[in-house]
Amino acid sequence: MRLRTWAFCLNEAGQNLWRNPVLAVASITTTTVALLVLGVFLLLSVNVNAIATSIEGQVAVQAFFAQSVPQAQEQQDLQQVRQWSQVRTARFISRDQALQELKKEFGSQATVLDSLGSANPLEDSLSVTAKTPRDVQPLARRLAGLAGVVHTSYQSAVVSRLFALVNAVRYAGLAIGLLLLLGSLLVINNAIRLGMTARRREISIMRLVGATESLVHWPFILEGLILGLVGAVVASGLSFWSYVAVYRSAVRTLPFLPLVDPSPLPRDIALGLLGLGIVLGAVGFRLSVRRLAKV
Amino acid sequence: MISLRNVNKDYPNGVSALRNVELEIGKGEFAFLVGPSGAGKTTLLRLLFREEVPTSGSVIVHGHDVGRMRPRQIPFLRRQIGVVFQDFRLLPQRNVFENVAFALRVTEAQPREIRKRVGQVLELVGLPDRATALPAQLSGGEQQRVALARAMVGRPVLLLADEPTGNLDPQNAQEVMQILLEINRLGTTVVMATHAAHLVDRARQRVIAMDGGSIQRDELAAHYSERVVQ
Repeated sequence: MRLRTWAFCLNEAGQNLWRNPVLAVASITTTTVALLVLGVFLLLSVNVNAIATSIEGQVAVQAFFAQSVPQAQEQQDLQQVRQWSQVRTARFISRDQALQELKKEFGSQATVLDSLGSANPLEDSLSVTAKTPRDVQPLARRLAGLAGVVHTSYQSAVVSRLFALVNAVRYAGLAIGLLLLLGSLLVINNAIRLGMTARRREISIMRLVGATESLVHWPFILEGLILGLVGAVVASGLSFWSYVAVYRSAVRTLPFLPLVDPSPLPRDIALGLLGLGIVLGAVGFRLSVRRLAKV
Repeated sequence: MISLRNVNKDYPNGVSALRNVELEIGKGEFAFLVGPSGAGKTTLLRLLFREEVPTSGSVIVHGHDVGRMRPRQIPFLRRQIGVVFQDFRLLPQRNVFENVAFALRVTEAQPREIRKRVGQVLELVGLPDRATALPAQLSGGEQQRVALARAMVGRPVLLLADEPTGNLDPQNAQEVMQILLEINRLGTTVVMATHAAHLVDRARQRVIAMDGGSIQRDELAAHYSERVVQ
C-alpha cells in the first residue's frame, strides 16, 4: 500500500478510537496492568534467581577425611578433585588451620577452645566450590565417594528453599500475568468488534466502491496495534523507572544484595513487554476478523 | 456489457428469486427494470456487482464472469461499476467532498487527481457549491445527487441504480432522472430498477419488465406498463 493509503488507514483507526474513548481507555488500562504485573514478576524472578545463584555459588562443599588417612592420600585426592569438570576451586584445610579459623570465629570467646588443650577434635578437609549452582549436589555425592572421605556437608536446605522460592515467584507471576493478558485480549477484541459494528456502513460502502479486503482490514489491525502498543509503552515505562528507583535505593541501603544491574535487564524486559503488547493487539484483531467478513 | 445466460438464483430460505433469466444489455444502453416488489429486480442488480452469485447460469459483466470470479478480483470489478440505492448510503460524519472522494481514496488515487475529479463530478450532478456540507444539511434529492457523484467519480462503464428516486418528491425525482439520462448520454451504460411509472413513460427507453423472478417483457422505447398510453 502507498503511504497515503497507510495514512488513510491510520486516520480510520484513530476515528474508531476517538468514537469509543471509554473502550479505548479500558483496553489500554487492562493491557497496561497485565503487562505491568508480568514485568514486575519477571524482574522479581530474575532478581531472586540472581540472589539464589550468588548464594549458592558461595556454598562450598566440605569433604572430611578420617583422622587415620595419611596426608599423602589427602593431597592426592585434592589433585584429583581439582581436575573434575564441575569444580571451580578446591582447597585443602588441615585440622590445625580449621582450629585456627574456629578460634577466629569465636572471637572473644575463643578461650573456650583452650580447654581442649593440645587435643584437636577436628578433621582434615577439602573445601570445594562448584562452577555452577546445579553442580553442587552431584559434586557432594562425588566427593563422598573419594577414598578416605568419611562425610560431606553443604547447606543444601538453604539452597533448595531458595530455588523453590524462585520457582514459586516465577510460576505465580506467569500464571497471574497470563490471566491478565487473556483479560486484556478480550477487552481489545471487544473494542475492535465494537468499532466494526459502528463502522458497518463505512465498510459496506468501502466494499461497494471497490476497496480491497486488506484496506478494509488494516484500520482495525492498526487499532489493535495502537491499543496494545500504548498499553505496553506505559507498562514498560513504569516497570523500568520503578525498577531503577528500587535498585538505586537498594544499592544504598542493602549493598550486599546482588540485584541485577538495571541497564541491560529492564530494557530487555521493556522490549519484551512492547513486543507482547503488539502481539496482543494483533491477536485481538485476529479474533474478530471473522466478524468483519459478515459486516 | 451485460450478458445473462439461463440464470437462476435460489436463496437458502427456499425463495427462487430469479428463474431462467436471459438478458443482453449493450454498451451505452439505458434500461429500466420494472415490476412489482419481489419480482427479482434487486437480485438481478446484486448479481451484476457481485453482491450475490447465481445459483446456476452465467453472468458476464464487462467481460468478467461474475459467478466464477475469485474474491480478490471483486474490488476491481466494482471499480468499473457505480451503484446507487434508494437510501443514498452516504457517510454522515463526512462532508460532500469527502463522501465522493472516499470512492477514489480506497483505490489509492493521487490527491490532486481526487480533487480534480470530485470537482468535475459535483459539477455534473449540480452541486459544485455544496462540497463542504454534511449529508444531514442536504435535501433528499441533493443527497441522492451526492450518491450519484460518488458512483460516477471512478468513471465506471456501468451504473446500477436501485430505485434511486424511491425516497424523493416528484421534482427531485425528475432531476435525478435527468442526471441519469445525462450520465448515459456521456457513454455510461445505465440499468435502473424503479416503480416510478411516470419517469419511465417520459424517458422512452428500453423497459425490462419482471415478475416472479423471470423477464415478462423486454421492449425498446417502451412504457412502464403494457397497456398503451393514449
